[in-house]
Amino acid sequence: MKRFVLVLLILAAILVPAFAAAEAEAPVEEPIVVDPDTTLVIWADDTRAPILEAIGADFTAQYGVPVTIQELGFGDIRDNIKVAGPAGEGADIIIGAHDWLGELVGSGIVAPIDLGSRVNDFTSSSIAGFTYDGELYGMPYAVENLAFFYNPDFVSQAPETWEEVRRVAESLQNAGTVEYGFVRQEGDPYHFFPIQTAYGGYVFGVNSDGTYDADDVGIDNAGSIEAATWLEGMVTSGNIPAGVDWDTYHSLFESGQAAMIVTGPWALDRLDASGVNYEIANLPGGGKPFLGVQGFMISSFSENQALAEAFLTEFVATTDVMLDLFDRGGRPPALIDALNAIDDPRMAAFGEAGREGLPMPAIPEMSAVWSAWGDAVTLIMQEQVTGAEAFATAAEQVRATIAGN
Amino acid sequence: MQTEGAPAPSSLPGGPKPSHPFFSLKPVRLLIRFGMLAILDAFSLLFIWTLIANGRYPLAAFVFVITVGVNIAFLVEKAYPFRWFAPGLALMILMLVYPTAYTLYVAFTNYGDGNLLTRVQVIDQIESRTFAPEGATEYSWTAFRSNSDPDEYVLWIQTEGESFLAEVGEELTTLDNASSAIRGSLDASGIPTDVPGFTRLAPNQIFAILDALTEITFGEEPNTVTVDSVRVARRLEQRYLFDSVADTFTDQRTGVVYTPVQGTFTADDGSTLSPGYWVPVGGENFRRLFRSPSLRGPFIRVLIWTFAFAVFSVLLTFSVGLFFAMVFDHPNMPAKNVLRSLVLIPYALPAFITANIWRGMFLPQFGVISTTLENLFGSSPLWLADPTWAKVGILIIQTWLGFPYMMIICTGALQSLPSDIFEAATIDGAGPLRKFWNLTLPLLLVSVGPLLIASFAFNFNNFTLIDIYAEGGPPIVGTLTPAGHTDILITYVFRLAFSGGRGADFGYASAITMVIFLILATITALQFRFTRIWEEISENV
Repeated sequence: MKRFVLVLLILAAILVPAFAAAEAEAPVEEPIVVDPDTTLVIWADDTRAPILEAIGADFTAQYGVPVTIQELGFGDIRDNIKVAGPAGEGADIIIGAHDWLGELVGSGIVAPIDLGSRVNDFTSSSIAGFTYDGELYGMPYAVENLAFFYNPDFVSQAPETWEEVRRVAESLQNAGTVEYGFVRQEGDPYHFFPIQTAYGGYVFGVNSDGTYDADDVGIDNAGSIEAATWLEGMVTSGNIPAGVDWDTYHSLFESGQAAMIVTGPWALDRLDASGVNYEIANLPGGGKPFLGVQGFMISSFSENQALAEAFLTEFVATTDVMLDLFDRGGRPPALIDALNAIDDPRMAAFGEAGREGLPMPAIPEMSAVWSAWGDAVTLIMQEQVTGAEAFATAAEQVRATIAGN
Repeated sequence: MQTEGAPAPSSLPGGPKPSHPFFSLKPVRLLIRFGMLAILDAFSLLFIWTLIANGRYPLAAFVFVITVGVNIAFLVEKAYPFRWFAPGLALMILMLVYPTAYTLYVAFTNYGDGNLLTRVQVIDQIESRTFAPEGATEYSWTAFRSNSDPDEYVLWIQTEGESFLAEVGEELTTLDNASSAIRGSLDASGIPTDVPGFTRLAPNQIFAILDALTEITFGEEPNTVTVDSVRVARRLEQRYLFDSVADTFTDQRTGVVYTPVQGTFTADDGSTLSPGYWVPVGGENFRRLFRSPSLRGPFIRVLIWTFAFAVFSVLLTFSVGLFFAMVFDHPNMPAKNVLRSLVLIPYALPAFITANIWRGMFLPQFGVISTTLENLFGSSPLWLADPTWAKVGILIIQTWLGFPYMMIICTGALQSLPSDIFEAATIDGAGPLRKFWNLTLPLLLVSVGPLLIASFAFNFNNFTLIDIYAEGGPPIVGTLTPAGHTDILITYVFRLAFSGGRGADFGYASAITMVIFLILATITALQFRFTRIWEEISENV
């Protein structure tokens, strides 16, 4: 008797999934056999991995190709693919930022990607970000940029220019309403760039085809110097405190001790958690922030490049998946349909602030810029040198480093 | 030298023991020895084979040399003494000699971003690039798999009103010329459901075979068609043709010829094919280092602070460590063991974490040290922004991090000092200070001296602390290359090598490492000279 029950159970265990499978396969498409020889391996960070895990399972069910998601730290993906890719052990698809391209394309680690007609489904700035040397190397999913934040309890409307920021800061501080009108991180050039561009400054000049020209360093042009002098004035008049780090300046804004800051979508969670009243506005003076684009890239050592491309264009580039990625990551999507489907005034405000934004230079020469440029901003904020001197030195350092190597 | 059967000298521990009274152990021991050796050789061979397969020839050569060495040591009776330090030697070759030799080798190559791949990989990659000739038609496609050979396919390709059957090596068949079976079975979108001998693949079946399909050229020259993506098939031509005799690539579209120059295929006008490959470049990295603006820039300042930092770190950690060691060594000290354990805490915690905590305490706005000083005295030094105070801050942290280690070694050394000479000194009327300067310290330095040199060498390259504290900052005003007041040699050149406009440049970084290694080796050699002076003192005491 016992044996009979056992046999029945085994039979049921075999037949039930078989019937279930038969039912699932019934519609139009042919039955699919999972081919274990062809697999897609995707490297993603902990924010994106669960979403990809889900769509990977769908893909396997529909197309018979197993999809493996491996979770790595966002920044580790770049370092690891450079070693694992050439050794034949890397992923087929990686998640990454567009400013890795100089390194990854230059070393032959990622392959060009052909989105075909779907290219027009993405915002032009996100496609421009992933274009390197005239070829597209990634399918973007999110764009991030800085915007201007102010506390409406202290500031009635967003300042139009950085001069106005100074006036508002002065009057607020003189009235004793806040401790500081405007706060920023001490040595950080990334958040300074919108101020620099507002005055007509730039980092690298742009060629006629839209690529960056490493021979044209604009850190000491008239506009950049003017911006540096503005910063110097704010520091000497006591309207910007020195020695503030990233965490501190957010805390100052959150606690109502500061009225205005510049920050990005990554800070929204903590601002909301603090309960501070804030508005997001365009950067004063028409300042252009750097655009950071995140997307999917295909390893040039993948045996399945065409499959990887098909997975991305047919399966990931859908409004639903892009909205999932938005829900988890909190960055405005690069897919136009997904962007339009979002009803979040904050995302719209970021989009507005980044409308004129410039893709962060992906050319390898950019690595020569960060430390010299950051040092210059630090020295101004520590009142060691004038703005003009600091930025002239930085430009010389950048030129010497690029020429010396 | 030991011959089998001769009586074993008792001085060699573990040497052949006298035979067992009832049966000889010799064959058993031989069997074990050969067995172990065979297992080791098997693993080595497997390892070497894998390494060669991956193109890692230098490491394979080293493993081979080690394996041969171990075999000689255990098989040749004359090499008997080597058996005792064979494992140590093997590990030393693998962990010290090989990395050093490899770094030296890399220093003479252009290995780094832009030249990460091997020549074979680069030629493969450039050869695989294709382009669609101008005016090439884009087709949508449907694949059919052969019923007899699962690797054989035909395509049905369509473009505005035109349809073709594309077979490998045959001219494209127009719809009019196609067999009646095909013509009779067209579905609503104009795709035949029946190609004799073949089975039509559904859209969901083509994904798994997509990359196999892209490898196949359908049709006959010059009217060929290749699957380009899941939606498009078109004529694709190879972009760059490699001429293995001339060692050049020719661009099929423009006719430009690229010849290799230091690992990069370069045209006459200077344009290059990316990526480049990894190739020896002679002394180029060293030339670049000695010509680079970094040497004309703040190099001397950085070098002076590097020495100052290393010397002060050793002096301060040693003085504080010795002080605590002597305090805890005092017979009247209460709760010695508890206190000693507590004082060891800085040594037990990872420096990476504690250095960050210290940095936080030094921060101007919220740091506990800064705010306390401000409350007490009305102002606090700018620990991270002021050049002098930043250096003081770093030395304070390093002293706190390093003194427990010095305390441990001093405690050990103090306890091994002979007590008779101290008694003699007391009888001669020497006070405690006199005894410390003339007896304790010189005797201590004999045993501790080499460790102080090691500590000096460690701090000379103490990247972690410097980088965590202020990333070398605050910046020096008006230098030729970016440099900070607290930058030591290793952080300064690290930034140069990895932010010098090309991303990570391992060849250049290795060259710099070699130069720092030479500087450090020279200093250490000189210091060992000096320690001999202490030894002479100890002989005269």
